[in-house]
Order: sequence, then structure tokens, then C-alpha cells
Amino acid sequence: MGTTIMAASYDGGVVMGADSRTSTGSYVANRVTDKITPLTDRVYICRSGSAADTQNLSRYVQWFLEQHGMELGDDPEVKTAAKLAQTMAYQNKNLLQASGGLAGLIVAGWDKHHGGSVFAIPLGGTLVKVPFSIGGSGSAYINGLCDRLWRPNMSEEECKAFVVKAVSHAMARDGSSGGCIRTVVISKDGIKRSFIPGDEVPVAAGELPPPVRQVRA
Amino acid sequence: MPCRYPYVTGTSMLGITYKDGVLLASDTLGAYGSTKRYKSFERIRKVNDVCVLGASGELSDFQYIMRLLEELSDDDFCMDDGHHLKPAEVHSYLCRVLYNRRNKFDPLWNSLVVGGFYAGQPFLGTVGMIGTNYTDVHLATGFGNHLARPLMREKHRPDMSEEEATELMRECLKVCYYRDKNSINKFQMAKVSAEGVTISEPFALETDWKYKLFENPAANAAGAW
Amino acid sequence: MSGIGSGYDNSVSTFSPDGRVFQTDYAQKAVDNSGTVVGIRCKDGVVLGAEKLIISKMLVENSNRRTFPVDRHAGVATAGVAADGRSIVSRAMSEANQYKSFYGDPIPGHVLAERLGSYVHVFNLYWYVRPYGVSTLLATYGKEGPQLYLVEPSGTSHRYFGTAVGKGRQGAKNEIEKLKLEEMSCREGIQAVAKILHQVHDEEKGFELELAWICEESGRQFQRVPQQLAEEAEAAAKAALEAEDMDD
Repeated sequence: MGTTIMAASYDGGVVMGADSRTSTGSYVANRVTDKITPLTDRVYICRSGSAADTQNLSRYVQWFLEQHGMELGDDPEVKTAAKLAQTMAYQNKNLLQASGGLAGLIVAGWDKHHGGSVFAIPLGGTLVKVPFSIGGSGSAYINGLCDRLWRPNMSEEECKAFVVKAVSHAMARDGSSGGCIRTVVISKDGIKRSFIPGDEVPVAAGELPPPVRQVRA
Repeated sequence: MPCRYPYVTGTSMLGITYKDGVLLASDTLGAYGSTKRYKSFERIRKVNDVCVLGASGELSDFQYIMRLLEELSDDDFCMDDGHHLKPAEVHSYLCRVLYNRRNKFDPLWNSLVVGGFYAGQPFLGTVGMIGTNYTDVHLATGFGNHLARPLMREKHRPDMSEEEATELMRECLKVCYYRDKNSINKFQMAKVSAEGVTISEPFALETDWKYKLFENPAANAAGAW
Repeated sequence: MSGIGSGYDNSVSTFSPDGRVFQTDYAQKAVDNSGTVVGIRCKDGVVLGAEKLIISKMLVENSNRRTFPVDRHAGVATAGVAADGRSIVSRAMSEANQYKSFYGDPIPGHVLAERLGSYVHVFNLYWYVRPYGVSTLLATYGKEGPQLYLVEPSGTSHRYFGTAVGKGRQGAKNEIEKLKLEEMSCREGIQAVAKILHQVHDEEKGFELELAWICEESGRQFQRVPQQLAEEAEAAAKAALEAEDMDD
């Protein structure tokens, strides 16, 4: 699953973003994939790599967190979710490698102890807490852009605009990323999903905006 | 199980002894191939009050190794008999762990440096990913072995003061930064002495680029590149 | 089929006609006959204290421990069969260790108490085992602040502001109720616990006092109260008791 995924923290929460393309070889198998998967009410995971492996990994983590939440009598923390995902990725890295599947994950969300937080879990299964993270094949094209645009203490709107801009630029250069842009904003107030359809994704230099559809009277 | 390769890695780890303890130093980069991806990764961690561990190589494996050591020192705490792991014991343990994993053809992809101070004696030891190990008064892993150790051999004395040792370390770090492409100018230095363990905040070093011939390398050699 | 239990006391897998599991009750009795163990939650931490009856004049001091850390942020004091207590301690240690390995965080007090309760409870269900003859006072300091739990042989676990088990439990609980725990620091707490244990001790033979705490002063780590502090607290407790006796 060639991909662009990212998550960024702002004052009071996190914004996660992803493209929607799933391809098998050169063929686009799904042009409206959802790569931002819920783990709990306020913790989500961005998946890149083998769709099968990351879907199953996510299911395991969902199950662990459900159990954990019951034992705890409280909502699980983001870092707990990240640690569980990391353990799965690390302990199975040989299998993930052998099957040609790879898992690059970003776990992000909000909890009452630490507010919004973002954890990156790259291929080997290292766990790193970061202010923002980009992943998937498309991320290679936007390292500079993100370093330039990211600031601490952004507002929710600024942060979301940053994520949409970054993902759209990655989609403009990476053939394995494309389609629509999905975002999820997570804060103490809950989650807000949004969807930018493929024909409304910002157009980068060298391409043309799609013509406006003629509405017949 | 097919052989693995490292993904997120740390570069050289340096260590020297001095009169009253040991110093460990490295940059804080977690590189993803040749991408400088994570720039605030702390590669030197405290093991207990007399010992630190520094790692180069695969950082997920380093996190795993730190958990092993945390289990051991939690056990020490629970035994509550005043005993704890000495630096030489930590080193010996890690040698066994890394060698054991290489025998399973599933190595932990690290070069580790153990630094410590116990019973008035500094300790400095290293372990490689296949279990190769030794102790010395100065050490470096990876590129540091080529870049920093010549400097150490020239300038290191076991009876150095802390100031002298720190100065030597900074010089070594600087050379590693100049000549190791997978390094950044953001370092941490750890000290273990009779006062215990301190790990510095990240710092940068002053670098020299303003030589006249740097601006125009071909000035005295017409036709050179 | 004679005797007090009329045969219903042989196994935990049979209820008596009036609804008791005698083996469970007897296990509780093993605790009730042990030296008193007291726990209080003060405003800044938890103090545990144990009255260790002297089993032999030749016993080496401090070699019969009753308080044990089970993680950095958690520790227990056990009352009852000492060997059963050690087994509970090692179970608590491995629960704490497993939790940290799996979730990457220290185990919260209520989770550890619940898990110990579940563990102990299992020994009240099968004919081929006997229940633990131990009550466990658990002191933790986590995100929720300092907390005190009690796990009993039947497997029940509850959270307390202060409680006591063992021989002198009734007297000790009466004294604990008089304390203003929400205003008391652990420094004051160790003295209060020392005083209570001396008060409820009613044998000719002396006893060894063991004090442990987890508070700001101990760096939120479970530890035995430093020897000097413990000695000072015990001396002050004795002096206070003597002064009260004079008044009477």
C-alpha cells in the first residue's frame, strides 16, 4: 500500500491525515480507502505498508485496548496504544519482512493526562514520541515542506491546513498516493472527520484543476 | 528466519575514562537509512546509579535491551537488600544476550557501550552485534572507531581531569560530525562518577568552515577541482 | 463426621448448610492470629507497619521481613502465614513486571489489587488446593496519588483510608479512626503507626517493629522507613504512650 499518512499535534489535540489510494502493482485497487483507523474513541492509527498486516495489527490493538479500558475503568492513554502497536510491530518484524509486508504506523490521539500526542512507529518497530510525523512512500517528497511549515502551538485550523497542504503535495509527486484526502481531528471534545474529494484536492504546480461541472438547468 | 537488516539506526557512540569516572557521548540522531529522520533520540540511557548504556545501530533493539535492563534493576529494587548491578556485570550480561541472539541467527543489531563507576574504579566496555566484546580506557563504535579513536590514542590519559576529558570528547564529536554523513550537530554527553550519573541536555558544537582555502580550494592549484 | 465443621470443613469445594466455606474462614483465622499489621493513607503517602512477634531469642534481627516492594511504586505488608506471604509477593512482582512489559507503564494500584484478589480467590474454588493464609496490605503511589488496598484470603480486595489485620486489629482500627488522616503527613504517620502497634501489643515478650512507606520523601518509591527515622518514631511513640499512662 503506497501511501501518504501523517499526524501533527497542536494546542489541545492532534490532526491526522491520509490519502485514499490502495494499489496492487500499477492498478488502483481502491480509490477511496480509509487509512485512518480508530483504536479507541480518542486514539487513531494511520496505517502504511501491507494493508492485510496493518489491518490485523490494528484489530489486535483494538482488542487489547478494549480489555485494558475495562480493567482500568478509564479510557486508555495514547502512549499505551502506541506501546501495544509497537510491540506487535517489533515482535513480528521478521514475519512482516518475510511476507513482503511492512508496517509503518503513526498512533495519535488525545488523553486527559498528556493532551494530544503523536507516536511514530517506523519499520523496525522503534517507538518515538514526536511533535508531528509523516509516513508512507509519499512522505519522502514532503520532508522539507513539513520542516518549513510545522510550528509548535498552532491552532486547530492552522494545523489542519498544514496537514491538508502537506498531504496534497505528496499526492502531487507520489504515484502511489492519490485520490482523496481524509483527516481526523482529535481533541478533548471528541473527533471530527473530514473528507476532501479527489476533484477538490489542491492542485500543485504543473497540473490543471479539473473543469467545473456544467449544471444543466 | 531470514536475516534482518536495521531500519532506524544511531551512529557512533564514544566513551573515555578519566581520573574520576567515565564520559559517554554521541549525537541524538535516529537515521532511517540515510534520511535524518528523528533528531531528538536519546541514545545514552541511565541503567542505575553507577551505570549508563549507549547504543549505536538499530534503535528498536536498543529499546528492547533497555527494557531487559529495566527488569533487572526493578528486581534489584524489589530484593531490597542494597545490592545492585555493577557496571562490569551489566556489560557481561549484555555480552551474553547479544551472543545468544547471534547464535539464534537473529542478532540484536547494535554496538553497545557500557560506562560506569564503581568502588572508585571507572568501567568502560563494548559489545558488538555478534557478541564481540572488550573493555578499554577509551572506546568508540562504528565510524567513531576510525574517526575518533586515533585522536583518543593520541590525547587520552587515564589520569585526565574532567575538564580535559570533556574537551577531548568534544573534539572527537566534532570530527565525527565533520566526517560521518549520518550525524548531526546535536549531542549529549553522559558522566558517571562518584556523584552518580548525569546525562546532559542536548548541545551543539562550534564548527570551523571559514578557512580562506575552503572558499577557493583551487587558489594555489590551478586546474584542481 | 464429627467436630466443629461436621465434615463441611475439609474442602473449599463444599458449602456448609448455612452457606459458609469453612476453609476460607479458617484461612482468615490464620491471619487473625498473626502479629498486627497496620496501614494508613496520609495526605502525602501511605505508611505500613508490622508488629513482628519474637519467635526466638536467637533470631537475627531483620531476617523475618513483613514488608516488601513489588515494584518501584508499590509494596506490600503481609499478615498471616509468612511463607504464603512470600508467594503472594512474588506473584505481585510478576504481575507488576508483566504489566510494565505489556503496557509500558507501571501497574495502577487498583489493577494490581484486583489481580491479586483474583489470584488469591482461585485458591477458594478447588478441592485440591488450600486458600492462602495471608492478608495483604498494598501501598501504591501512581497517577491517582497514594492509595492503600487490602486483599484477604477469600479474594476480596478493597481500598481503605486506613485498616489493620492480625491479633490487635480491632484496637488498631479504633485508634486509626481517631486519626485525622487527611491532615497527617507520613512523617507523623509513622509515629502514629508505631504508637498504635505498641498500644495493641499485649504480650510480655517484646516485638520488632517494621515500618515501610511510599511518599514524596521516599521519592514516590516504596521503601522501609530509614532506620534513624523509624527509631525516632518508635521512641516518640513510646514516650507518648507513657505520658498517657501517667495521666490515667
